[in-house]
This record gives sequence, structure tokens and C-alpha cells, in this order.
Amino acid sequence: MNVKGAKEESIQTQLERSRAVRANIKKLYIYFVLALIVIIFSVAKLGQVEMFGRGHFLSPDSIINLLRTAVPILTLSGAFTLLMISGYIDLSVGSAMSLSAVVFALMILNGFPFLPALVITLILGIAMGALNGLLVMKLRITPVIATLVTLSLFKGIALLIVPDGLSAIKGSAEKVMPPWINDYARKNVLLGMPWAFFVALAVIAILVIVQRKTILGKYAAAMGGNRTAAELSGINVVKMGWLLYIIVGFFAVLAGVARASYMSLGDPLSGDGMELDNIIAVLLGGTAFSGGEGSVAKTIIGALIIMCVTTGLMTVIPAYWQTVAKGSVLLFAVVLNHLLIREKVKA
Amino acid sequence: MSVETKQARKITVGGRMSNESFLTLFMIGVLVVLFGIACAIVPNFYLPQNMLNLITNNWYIIILGIGVTFLLITGNFDMSVGGVIALTGVLSVYFCQGANVSRNVLANGLGLPYGLALGLALLCAMGIGAINAFFIARLKVPSIIVTLGTMMLARGIAQVITRGAQRNTSLPDVFGVVGNIAIQGTSIKFSVVIMVLLVVAAFIFERMTVPGRRTYLIGANAEAARLSGITVGKHITFLYLTSALLAGITGILLASEFKAGVSSRAMGYEFDALVVALLGGVSIAGGFGSVLGMFVGAVILSVVTTSATGLLLSPDWQFTLKGIVTFIAILAQRFALDRRKG
Repeated sequence: MNVKGAKEESIQTQLERSRAVRANIKKLYIYFVLALIVIIFSVAKLGQVEMFGRGHFLSPDSIINLLRTAVPILTLSGAFTLLMISGYIDLSVGSAMSLSAVVFALMILNGFPFLPALVITLILGIAMGALNGLLVMKLRITPVIATLVTLSLFKGIALLIVPDGLSAIKGSAEKVMPPWINDYARKNVLLGMPWAFFVALAVIAILVIVQRKTILGKYAAAMGGNRTAAELSGINVVKMGWLLYIIVGFFAVLAGVARASYMSLGDPLSGDGMELDNIIAVLLGGTAFSGGEGSVAKTIIGALIIMCVTTGLMTVIPAYWQTVAKGSVLLFAVVLNHLLIREKVKA
Repeated sequence: MSVETKQARKITVGGRMSNESFLTLFMIGVLVVLFGIACAIVPNFYLPQNMLNLITNNWYIIILGIGVTFLLITGNFDMSVGGVIALTGVLSVYFCQGANVSRNVLANGLGLPYGLALGLALLCAMGIGAINAFFIARLKVPSIIVTLGTMMLARGIAQVITRGAQRNTSLPDVFGVVGNIAIQGTSIKFSVVIMVLLVVAAFIFERMTVPGRRTYLIGANAEAARLSGITVGKHITFLYLTSALLAGITGILLASEFKAGVSSRAMGYEFDALVVALLGGVSIAGGFGSVLGMFVGAVILSVVTTSATGLLLSPDWQFTLKGIVTFIAILAQRFALDRRKG
């Protein structure tokens, strides 16, 4: 009897220990993954490849380049995480980015100064987020379907704004795109990084605080965990969901402006696939599929992993491997996520 | 209590149409009205050839729509169909191309016999379906995330095989037959015949077979379905395999029609398939919808896009139009059902 009890106890402690190990792995694995990927690409003899003749994966130039191209996803993925924690999804972020890039470039081309153009585009972003919120929260259309509809809508409008025969809003013989459109996302401000990067950092910092320390973060997790319970305990789910969609729309537009400034043109297809990159980043960051838990900070690491993988791969294998690589990373993230979260579901 | 029973009786009273038939009829009404308007304002819209084209030019979306409709009824998405089309098309070409015939890498294939090549390509398509099913039915991952991943995977493999472009040389003559033969004396292609056969088969499956009815039960309440002895996972697996197979058939027919395996083929078809299902009244919320409705939805979408083209609107309008039409359709259907209840 006694022996049996001791045995049970030891099994209990073993179980507990394995659970603790698993929790630790869950907490830290993403940093290892990022480190591993960076190491692999640094060790691999990239110097032999034409494109990387300039230097090492870890050379300052290539790091600056990587971070500059990562600005849009860094700006957006934090807000996207908050939305997914609350159990909703926004597939229209890519199209929202494209549309804002087009609108922003159009205004700059027509002589608007930087700040007014930025403010008007951001208002557009709030409107787009509010439209998603209206469809999902008020009209109760399934999030996936509602945001797919707006995906098509925003993309269509972006394509319509661009004049026939042109592929993007860009300078032409009659109208020259002011060269300072680049300043926001390319001009060196500090340590080789442009303004857009520091804005992205600030956004990340704010969203990490929002998620951890404010009531919005708690409510988002409560909604994702159990919507009915959240509703019954007095959270205004509709209002919160609406707010989260608006936040996502706002930052999607900020990302779109950074993209437009980086490319110095408004490409109506420039945001394509952004929703997938964000989903990958969020899943790599360990946010549960169905919401309820997750971390903005880890999503950012996930976003860096994607950028490292895509940039790193671009230097070793032809570009047409890119899609396969991303798809595989997504499915890999799903498996990883499943393995790490399974424990919680069982418990 | 008495109110409840009264309501229950009201629903079971014989002769009253089911909500599904009501919505299908409602959408047919919408179609007729739209068709009338289109005839009035779009030049040459009323010509018989154009009416025929409305259906025959959309055979691929309708075939895809069958699989997507059944999945949507069970509450699952399949966004991988476009990628599967590209993959199967490219693979069937790759398998058929002669081996070692040219120094151009894209002109060399495996040189397999035609039938074997098609069979293998379809198997690969079902492989993608199997991946979908594994993640969704076994690991319980939301279908939208998984199928977006397999969409990239399938299209990515197609891009790798074609090096981001297409394969269209050193194909046997037989390859171009299936997609291009037409019924003698008409412009109706073999692909359209296949589409009609598949729709009829799907209709019979939906209405008259046990698995067909189970699909609805799973969609209405998966837990209740499981408790009443339906192996939900198996059924979902079956539906994903079917959807991938249908996409595979479409991919082969399209590859044959153009006699080329293009890696960017069928971009966005997954969205169109979803749109026609939604237009036809399929609801993801509660085991609701029908193949017939999807067919009507496909014709509605066809009327709208053809009118846009007929009015000489720029092709860029297509995205916006599809978005608006879907949105209106969802709201109109909900309104119609609410009114009917009240």
C-alpha cells in the first residue's frame, strides 16, 4: 500500500517534471530556432554564392538590409497576434497594405507633404479595420469569410486606383515621384536604420505592454479562451473585437506606408501573402490556433525567423523555391505548435 | 413549453419547403432578376451562345465548387484547390514529357505513358488532400491555416518543377486531346460534360446516400454526430481527398486544354470556388447548403463578371465586384431566412 503510494507519487513528480520541462521548452524554443537558423546561414559558405559576395550573413550590411526589409512584418505582426489571441483572424491585412501603399504613393506623387499623406492613409486604415469589425462583430459573418471578402475588395480598389496600363503608382515623364518618399524607410537615422524601423520598434514595445499590462490584453486572452464566459463576466466582446480589428487595420496601413516608402512606388500587389507571413510568425511564436494565449514578443521572433529563412534561402537557392519553403515552414510551425500545446489541452 | 411545441410542429408540418430549397429558389430568383437586368443593359447579352457560355466557361469553378461546398457544409475550408490545380497540371506535363530529348531542362520530363502519368498526377493531388485531412481531422488544426499552408506547398512544388515558369514542349499529341475535344457540331467541350456528370453525381450523393446526409449532420453538430456513431474524422478525410481529386481532375483538364503546365495557373480559384458556394447559400455555421445552390451561385457570378466584361469595365473590377457581390449575397440570404422565420 505504502509502496504503491510512493510509486504513484514518484510518477506524479515525474509527470510534473516532464510538464515543467515541456513548459520551459515551450517558453524558450523559439529563441533557439532563431539562433539555429542564423548559425546555419552564417556557417554555410554563402560567400561562394554570387549574391553574397559582399559578405557574411552576419555582416553589418546584410543585417541592416534584413531588418530594413523586415519593417512591414515587424510593424504588423504584433497587432495580428493580439487579434489571433482573441480568437479572430484578419486575412485582409495584405490587401490593406497594398491599398494603403497605393493611396500613400498617389498622394505623395500629387504633391502632398509626408505627414498629411501619412495621417490620411492611417485614417483609411482605421476605416478598413472598422469595416472588418463591422462585418465580423456586428453582422456576425464568419471572420475567415468576412475578411476574405474585404481582401478581395481592398485589392480590387487598389487595382482600380492604379491607372490602366501601369503596374503601380510611380513617377512618370509628366509627374516625378519626389525622391524624399524614400526617407521614411531607407534613409539612415541611427546605426544605419531608417525611421520606419524605429517606429516598428516603438510599435512592438507598445503592443508588448498592451498585451501584458493593460486590460485590452487580458480581455483579448479571455475572449479567445472562452467567448461566452468572457461575455458573461461583463466584457463587451463586440466592442473589444471591433477595437482589435481597427488596431490591426491601423498597423497594416503603417506597414503599407513603410513598404511604399521602401520601394518608392505604390504597388497594388505589394502586400500579397502578408497574411500568410503573419500567420506563420504568430504560429511560430506559439500562439494557440484557437486563441486564448500567446505572446506578442515571441511573434516578433517568429517574424525574424521568417525573414532570416527567406533572405537566407534567397542567397543559396533560386527564388522559385521560396513558396515551397514558406509553405513547409508554415506546416512545420503547425506541427510544433500542436506538439507544444497538446499538453495544455490534455490537462 | 407550449410555444416550443407549436414552433416545432410548425417546422414539421408537411408541404413546407426546407430552408435549403427556399434559399436555392431565392437565389434562382436573384439570378433571373440579374439576368434580366444584364439582358437590358449589356449589349448582345441575350444571344443564345452567350447564355451557353455563362455555364460552359465556368466549368472549372463549378467542379472545384463541389468539393468546397461539401467541406463548407461540414464547417471546413479548402483553400488549397488552386495550388492543387497548378501542381497536378505541372506534374501531368512533367510525367508525360519525353526523357532526355533536349538540352533545355524544362523540355525534359520522365517520359511515362500517358495513362500512368495522369494517374500519378492525381495521386499526388490526393496526397495534398491527405496532408490536409491529417492536419485537420487528426491534429484538429483550423482548416483555414492548414489549407493555406498546403496551397503554398502545392504551388511551390509546381514552381520548383517549372522553375517558376512553365513546361510546354516535347509533349505527346495525346496530351492535348482531353481538354480540347468537343461534342460534335457544338462548342461544348468534354470538360463541360465531365462537369455536368460530376454535378449530377454530387447531387445524388448529397440527397440520396447515407454519407451525403452525414455531411449535414457533422456540420450541424459535430459532437452530436460523433456521439451518434459517425466517424467524423474519416468522413472529413474522405471529403478532403475528394476535393483534392476534383481539383486534380480540373488541373489535368486545364493543362490539356492549354497543352502546358503553368505554375501560376488557377491563382485565386480557391476564392472563386468559395464565392460560388457562398452565393449558393452554403453556410459555414450550420450544416447548410446544397450543390444545386452552388451551381446557381456559379451562374450568378458568371452573369456578373460577364456583364462587367460586356460593359467594357477594366478587368481590375473583377476583384471589387466579387467582394461586393459576395457581401450582398450573404446579407440578403440572412435577411431572407430571418424574414421567413419571423
